[in-house]
Amino acid sequence: MAGQAQLPRRIVKETQRLLSEPAPGISASPSEENLRYFNVMILGPQASPYEGGLYKLELFLPEDYPMAAPKVRFLTKIYHPNIDKLGRICLDILKDKWSPALQIRTVLLSIQALLSAPNPDDPLAENVAKHWKENEVEAVQTAKEWTRLYAQHP
Amino acid sequence: MAGATVVVPRNFRLLEELEKGEKGIGDGTVSYGMDENDDMLMRNWTGTIIGPSNTVHDGRIYTLKIFCDISYPDKAPQVKFCSRVNMSCVASNGVVDPRHFHLLGHWNRSYTLETVLVELRKEMASPQNRKLPQPPEGTMF
Repeated sequence: MAGQAQLPRRIVKETQRLLSEPAPGISASPSEENLRYFNVMILGPQASPYEGGLYKLELFLPEDYPMAAPKVRFLTKIYHPNIDKLGRICLDILKDKWSPALQIRTVLLSIQALLSAPNPDDPLAENVAKHWKENEVEAVQTAKEWTRLYAQHP
Repeated sequence: MAGATVVVPRNFRLLEELEKGEKGIGDGTVSYGMDENDDMLMRNWTGTIIGPSNTVHDGRIYTLKIFCDISYPDKAPQVKFCSRVNMSCVASNGVVDPRHFHLLGHWNRSYTLETVLVELRKEMASPQNRKLPQPPEGTMF
């Protein structure tokens, strides 16, 4: 495959492991034309407002990975205080808490965990966070509604 | 060249451009942003150019629509002036004609929305455009 020769060994190893031993509820596979660009699926965690939803994400390993964090974005609409309307994710390990010791797998597990534990005190989507703080029951209801509307299996 | 092997996919490239645009570019003579903040495909953008001094465009604020299709940035975006302007590379409906605007006609993946706007602004100051009679300021296509 084109580009394979230049792909750093670390990325090759991570990719092999992601494919051979996927984490529960998570799948990630590189696209054929760009081995640094992954199609990701995450199942909404049980006992979260996203349960029953299937979320599509995209992940890209920039040139300076693993010195720089992967770039990740939701492609499926989701009602969550730490995910904005463009699917951008507010997660410390994607920003200042990134360490080269982390991997694609750890990033995806952290995103899955973020779905179980929304953090309205560190919001990216201000309106959603406000809703969450003022009326959590109602906000969770909206999140469930969005799961039903936008995150159903094809 | 380092960029030769690592290709930034469309969406992440546009997210980078969006963030750059939000911070503001250079001296502010060009700017751009996304039309709808929930458009996951990030296709529709609006740019502005402040006309260069010592030309007929001096101080005018031009608004443009930029359409980044799924093929962007491998292919050039489509660019159309909303503000009326008389330029050699702009058709009578405001569309920037790639045949007469080298940057769009000979597109390169390293070009950005910023490059498009900066080059259009330079084009306004080119010998064939700097003195062309202009429609009244503020009129739209």
